Amino acid sequence: MRGILGLLLLFALLPFLPLGAWGAFLLDVGLFILLFTALALSWDLVARTGQLSLAHGAFFGLGAYGAGLMVPHLGTLPALLLGSLLAGAGALLLGSVTLRLHGLYFAIASLAFSEVLRTMALKLPFTGGPIGLPVPPPFGGGWPLASYYLAFAVLLLAVALSLWAERSSFRLAQAATRQSEAVARVLGVRVVRVKLLSLLLGSLVAGLAGGVYAMKALFLNPYEAFSLGRAVEALVIPIFGGLYSTLGPLLGGVVLVGLEQALRLWIQEGYLVVYGALLILAILFLPRGLLGLLGGRRG
Amino acid sequence: MELLLQTLLNGLLMAGVYALVATGLALSLGVVGIVNFAHGEFLMLGAFLSYLLFAFRGLDPLFALGLAFLAAFLVGALTYWGLIRPVLKAPELNQMLLTFGLSILLQNLALLLFGADTRVVAPPYQAATLALGPFFLGAVPLGAFLLSLALLLSLQLFLTRSRLGLAVRAVAQNRLAPGLLGIEAEGVYLLAFGLAAALAGVAGVMLSVMLYASPSVGFLFTLKSFAIVALAGLGNLKGVVPAALVLALAEALVSTYLPGGGGLVEAVFFLVLFLALVGRAWRGA
Repeated sequence: MRGILGLLLLFALLPFLPLGAWGAFLLDVGLFILLFTALALSWDLVARTGQLSLAHGAFFGLGAYGAGLMVPHLGTLPALLLGSLLAGAGALLLGSVTLRLHGLYFAIASLAFSEVLRTMALKLPFTGGPIGLPVPPPFGGGWPLASYYLAFAVLLLAVALSLWAERSSFRLAQAATRQSEAVARVLGVRVVRVKLLSLLLGSLVAGLAGGVYAMKALFLNPYEAFSLGRAVEALVIPIFGGLYSTLGPLLGGVVLVGLEQALRLWIQEGYLVVYGALLILAILFLPRGLLGLLGGRRG
Repeated sequence: MELLLQTLLNGLLMAGVYALVATGLALSLGVVGIVNFAHGEFLMLGAFLSYLLFAFRGLDPLFALGLAFLAAFLVGALTYWGLIRPVLKAPELNQMLLTFGLSILLQNLALLLFGADTRVVAPPYQAATLALGPFFLGAVPLGAFLLSLALLLSLQLFLTRSRLGLAVRAVAQNRLAPGLLGIEAEGVYLLAFGLAAALAGVAGVMLSVMLYASPSVGFLFTLKSFAIVALAGLGNLKGVVPAALVLALAEALVSTYLPGGGGLVEAVFFLVLFLALVGRAWRGA
């Protein structure tokens, strides 16, 4: 808990730290850490029910495009909300069909879901297609730190949700569902409902993160917004940091997104090699992630 | 009418390759019990092997077929031994994450080595066609179809007639009992996983001529194979061929008859997958 508060305090104060010439670059890195860590926490929320979601890139993209299309008409906050709801609607559609089935159907369908949404973003008449979609900055660009603090708010929400799920009886329902659905059913857990609620909450946060990303990037194209790379980041961060916890994805996000931003200075394409390798190594040798290495308690 | 028959004929020829790739996926799922997201990457390996041999040695893709079979078998066996074996008893989530990580790693390694360009292997007979009454058959798709059929038949014979094949089926049915009868499950897993990779590798060589070799070609076929396998019922080898036929015919019909259908073909596999899942959810499987 102290670790979480410390990290959050650091992020809250980052714009005011005396960083000199590196300040602007570090602030950008910080913003991406905030967004992708929130995305990672929202993935972890789904993983706690034992479901492998490969659709978090799609939820992120839905949020980004939803917010990006609505900002000029509705203003910043309602547009973010609508983008998030759009991601939630996608999650309900995907989840209602697949979550009743064996877990691997969900993993496969979520992967196909994100591929098709990218094709749709390319083909639909109002998305700008492969050329892309320009997005105005938040609040008309009047306040330079707006996107940073919006990202911070998204992370706060993700942390709050994760802590709630960790401390309430919902955690027991999630853990029971993950460990054995049959046993969970016998214990009176409404398995499908728990899985669907976790997916819905996760997708809402992922959609918010996508919306803020759109307002920071100022430009969306289907390959960026719906990239499989986003789903990969969303899942490697919690696995590397420590699954089924709040501090794990936070730690993993700071280390990995920071590393990625540094690596991108040298490698343009193919930096995902690092993520693939880390994923394999973490599964084989570090199943409890960085937290396990630090001797943390498992949630 | 002729257009319809020609479309169905093209779909039929494509179904052979789809069935070959999806059979590999169903084999690793049914026998080893692993959801292999990296299955398409074995296909990509075969495609690039074919391209490299053709571009730098001038070797005909027909020779690459055998080499790709062996190379993919070896890589598949090594993958099983080094990566899959340690997680056989781990939760399913970990297994899926591992193969997904392998897929990401291999795709992006290929991206770093070869770039994102698509590369086509163009032997002299690439564009040859055979006339069959009013219809035209590409020589390469026809050859690929016949070879896929031959490979699937020999796999069928191997699984039903040879002692080793019977052992593979025994292990697929029951994890414990074959061990009591003196069958080494580890060896069977290794064989099944290697064979699955080898089938994908051969398909990759065919696709390097029919389609192209690129870092993302394997992933495309992973998705299509999953759609086929989900339609057939997970791990069900017998259902794979009809399911592949359904997907290939649906794709051919969409690309011929829907305006702008070329880009929508990618959505067909999803529709097939989605309908298969809905059907399964309604039956309460």
